[in-house]
Amino acid sequence: MQGGSSGIGYGLKYQARCISDVKADRDHTSFLTGTLSLKEENEVHLLRLSSGGSELLCEGLFSHPNEIWDLASCPFDQRIFSTVFSTGDSFGAAIWQIPEPYGQSNSSTLECVASLDAHVGKINCVLWCPSGNSDKLVSMDEQNLVLWSLDSSKKSAEVLSKESAGMRHSLSGGAWNPHDVNSVAATSESSIQFWDLRTMKKVNSIERAHVRNVDYNLKREHILVSADDESGIHLWDLRKTNVPVQELPGHTHWTWAVRCNPEYEELILSVGTDSAVNLWFASASSENKTSGSPVEASRQRVNPLLNSYTDYEDSVYGLAWSSREPWIFASLSYDGRVVIESVKPFLPRR
Amino acid sequence: MATEAAPMDEKAKRMRDLLSSFYAPDPSISTSGSSINASFDNINSTSFDADQYMDLMIKKSNLEVLLQRHVQMAAEIKNLDTDLQMLVYENYNKFISATDTIKRMKSNIFGMEGNMDQLLQKIMSVQSKSDGVNTSLFEKREHIEKLHRTRNLLRKVQFIYDLPARLQKCIKSEAYGDAVRFYTGAMPILKVYGDTSFQDCRRASEEAIEIIIKNLQTKLFSDSESIQARAEAAVLLKQLDVPVDSLKAKLLEKLEQSLDGLQIKPEEASTLVEHDDSSNDTESNDQHPAKIHEDAVRGFSEAIRAYREIFPDSEERLFKLARALTAMHFEHMELYIKKRVSAADFLGIFRIVWEDVVLMDEVLPEAALSDLSAEAAQVTLKQFVARMFSHLQQDISDTLLKFDINQKEAVEGELLKVVLEASQKAVLQGTTNIFQDFRQLLDEKTGIFIKMKDLISGWIQKGSQDFFRSLEAQFLVLSGKTSSSNDIEGKSSDKIHAGLILVLAQLSVFIEQKVIPRVTEEIAASFSGGNSQAFENGPAFIPGELCRVFHAASEKLLQHYIDTRTQKVSVLLRKRFKTPNWVKHKEPREVHMYVDMFLHELEDVGKEVKQVLPQGTFRKHKRTDSNGSNTTTSSRSNTLHNDKMARSNSQRARSQLFETHLAKLFKQKVEIFTKVEFTQESVVTTTVKLCLKSLQEYVRLQTFNRSGFQQIQLDIQFLKAPLKEAVEDEAAIDFLLDEVIVAASERCLDVIPLEPPILDKLIQAKLAKSKEHNHNTVSS
Repeated sequence: MQGGSSGIGYGLKYQARCISDVKADRDHTSFLTGTLSLKEENEVHLLRLSSGGSELLCEGLFSHPNEIWDLASCPFDQRIFSTVFSTGDSFGAAIWQIPEPYGQSNSSTLECVASLDAHVGKINCVLWCPSGNSDKLVSMDEQNLVLWSLDSSKKSAEVLSKESAGMRHSLSGGAWNPHDVNSVAATSESSIQFWDLRTMKKVNSIERAHVRNVDYNLKREHILVSADDESGIHLWDLRKTNVPVQELPGHTHWTWAVRCNPEYEELILSVGTDSAVNLWFASASSENKTSGSPVEASRQRVNPLLNSYTDYEDSVYGLAWSSREPWIFASLSYDGRVVIESVKPFLPRR
Repeated sequence: MATEAAPMDEKAKRMRDLLSSFYAPDPSISTSGSSINASFDNINSTSFDADQYMDLMIKKSNLEVLLQRHVQMAAEIKNLDTDLQMLVYENYNKFISATDTIKRMKSNIFGMEGNMDQLLQKIMSVQSKSDGVNTSLFEKREHIEKLHRTRNLLRKVQFIYDLPARLQKCIKSEAYGDAVRFYTGAMPILKVYGDTSFQDCRRASEEAIEIIIKNLQTKLFSDSESIQARAEAAVLLKQLDVPVDSLKAKLLEKLEQSLDGLQIKPEEASTLVEHDDSSNDTESNDQHPAKIHEDAVRGFSEAIRAYREIFPDSEERLFKLARALTAMHFEHMELYIKKRVSAADFLGIFRIVWEDVVLMDEVLPEAALSDLSAEAAQVTLKQFVARMFSHLQQDISDTLLKFDINQKEAVEGELLKVVLEASQKAVLQGTTNIFQDFRQLLDEKTGIFIKMKDLISGWIQKGSQDFFRSLEAQFLVLSGKTSSSNDIEGKSSDKIHAGLILVLAQLSVFIEQKVIPRVTEEIAASFSGGNSQAFENGPAFIPGELCRVFHAASEKLLQHYIDTRTQKVSVLLRKRFKTPNWVKHKEPREVHMYVDMFLHELEDVGKEVKQVLPQGTFRKHKRTDSNGSNTTTSSRSNTLHNDKMARSNSQRARSQLFETHLAKLFKQKVEIFTKVEFTQESVVTTTVKLCLKSLQEYVRLQTFNRSGFQQIQLDIQFLKAPLKEAVEDEAAIDFLLDEVIVAASERCLDVIPLEPPILDKLIQAKLAKSKEHNHNTVSS
């Protein structure tokens, strides 16, 4: 099954879609992942890469009442995370706290910090403010965008503001701009929308149909990466949104998610339903793109695909870079297999 | 012994010198020619040492040889003595005769002095007589000289008085040359005495001269006069100190004006050439433009020749003029070739221009016109080559876009096939034509073409390389794969018909396999020269690279076609799965209509593909072209299907999640995403695979109740037969369809599949309905 892969594997019991880097854990490279099973009891696994980097250990196993569609770790408290879950016919979102001391008892119960219950429709995702210790959260369902203020000590979450995106735009996900804490990008059926959280107004949009996932580049301001179903990966400069800065071919089938490396600005990872994880090298910045015709530029460009990790049995949906060791990423395929890979051989020379 | 030997030695040496100077014609040879080995043997050498020689002899020879040597030597010495004696005697003789001669001379000198005195006296008397004659004639001569001077003066005065009349006469007879000569001759006198004695005379002659100047000027400017006459007039004017510069300027202006008449206007150029062609058989017609033009240029060159003769010192301006004319010619030619021009027409114009240049060059060889025009010709030719290619590219894209593919019939009829064939023809024919034209260029014998042969083939090679590259780029833009720089086109890319992309893909293959090898042949056959000289960085035309480029392009375009097609289906599926609430789905009554739409899309793909792409080698049996041998295999495979279907149905009736997982494990190895090939089957298969994968992914995103699951099950079951019909890779389709079912069951809250009989019934109902529908549409 391993087939010469250098990756470290870990099997979840059930199918799963989401994995998140535990950013607040500064001592270990840890990931949180949750299962997606309609009928069985779902679990949240806290995984930790051993100090040698050769083993992936389960540090904690917690039962979760419902199947998990989205999971995000709190950027300032490693014990707190958010999930979006579904009971089959309805959706919910909640903030959870891992009980202390975790790790000793298997399958201990999670403490619910707050329930984000201002939604009615299908909730897509919960975003944590990327600015470190801000207590702001954004949750999205298909029509609404809600800004929350979390007080973890009082175990409560307050709705700060709520805005409807309109019936026509069915939102499907988003990303919080790490360079501007007031800006959130949301993907919808026909466009990528940019919301200003102070006014809760849509300020800008990129017309692009069926964008499935977006991610901001942590190192390069104004650069946003988007993944489409059909036409692959696009890099956008937010200052001129009519034409993408660069196009990458993406996957044989849908490109499900893209993630920019938190440290190496040129590295982009994408996962797709063709059971592969692709590592891209996107060197073109918006400045040198303008020189020469696009035809010429495309000729000069070397193959941007650095590597394709294909050792998966099913579609890969979950993807996360480790912020502590930025050459390590975790991927999660639908059959519940977590694979940790290192991109060290492909790191650009500095 | 040594002291004794020295004086003897010296004496012997002097003797030897004497003898040698007597016998040898050149003493230097005998003295300097002594070498070491000769010094002993050679008695004649200066450094000969008798003792040493003796020693050597005694040492070397026996007695007999010595005796012989002695005899020989004695004889030699005797000879030498007699010779010396003879010498002394002869010298004495000569001395005696000299003394005699001197004696005779002394006696002859006596009596000479008396003769000399007589001579002196005679000369004195001659001198005195001549003096006498001289004094007697002096007065008369003086008088004659005075008279002569007076006469000359009088003649001059007469000439000046006659000058006006003479000038008038000259004017009448147009002998301006004489007039000017007269006038300039009289000028000094008129200048000195003009204000006093010859006032009237001067005025009259000046008037006459003015008339002459006027006449000369008119003569100079009149075109009817011969150049010779005009040149003379100019020279005369110059002699008369009339300011020539203004004249020069005026003449130049005239020349410049005539330049305008010589322009080959782009719009006239074609007529010029046309008439040139037709003139061969209709010589009797009135002058055709080409002839007129030629005459005009000839006239111009004549004028320049004249001007040069008239003002030999101001050639710069002429050079400028000539250069301007050439430059203008080439400019116009560049304008001319902006339009579509055949190589023959281009060559026609080029020949005319070149003739002009040659004419001018004859007149003004120093103007370096040939260099200038060679450069300009290079630029023009290069542009022409480039333009030919761009026209060809335009042609090809025109052919591609000429047909309105967006029509409905595109799918139904053979339109795509027509477009493909037309564009293939356009590419092939176009390249053949273009190379024919280029061959004309190479065959052209006009001077400059021969020189530039290498360059031209270099340009053609580079041109074809660039052409194919930009053609590829254009294909990608046409297909909407790469959005071109301006936004307008980018937006219209939505409307690009998928069929066109498919045609482009196949056309790329055609170019890679047929056109590029052909072009390579052409280039190798006719345009191989000029590689090494003109292009240092390797040959300009690299067929291997182009093949690679087009190969990549064809694959890209085919992938793009599949993408656009699947995208359509994907939108369809997305709508299907987004709209209903699957958790509250009602019991399935019939196969959902999206299946029809999906199949319809596939049908379209099949039709398009059939028109454009070749059939694969693994041809699956088609009902339409069945023959005896095929029927057996097909029936067998059909029974196999049914078997499998029945089995999987019964299995699924009892299926649990576990079992499907187990089944999946065994089927896992099916390759879903294989490389697309340029065959009808491969493209259809890939499209179906991608669509089914999308279907699976959409299913995974939903949660179903029992009825929802059953609906999916029904739809998939219905899809099975027609999909297998269309697709070559049945195993993969089976696998993917099962995957959809598995995904649905995994996402289902309450998995209870429909019983096979009910499934069958519903499918039969759907089939009957669609048949009826077809029947209706056909009948109506």
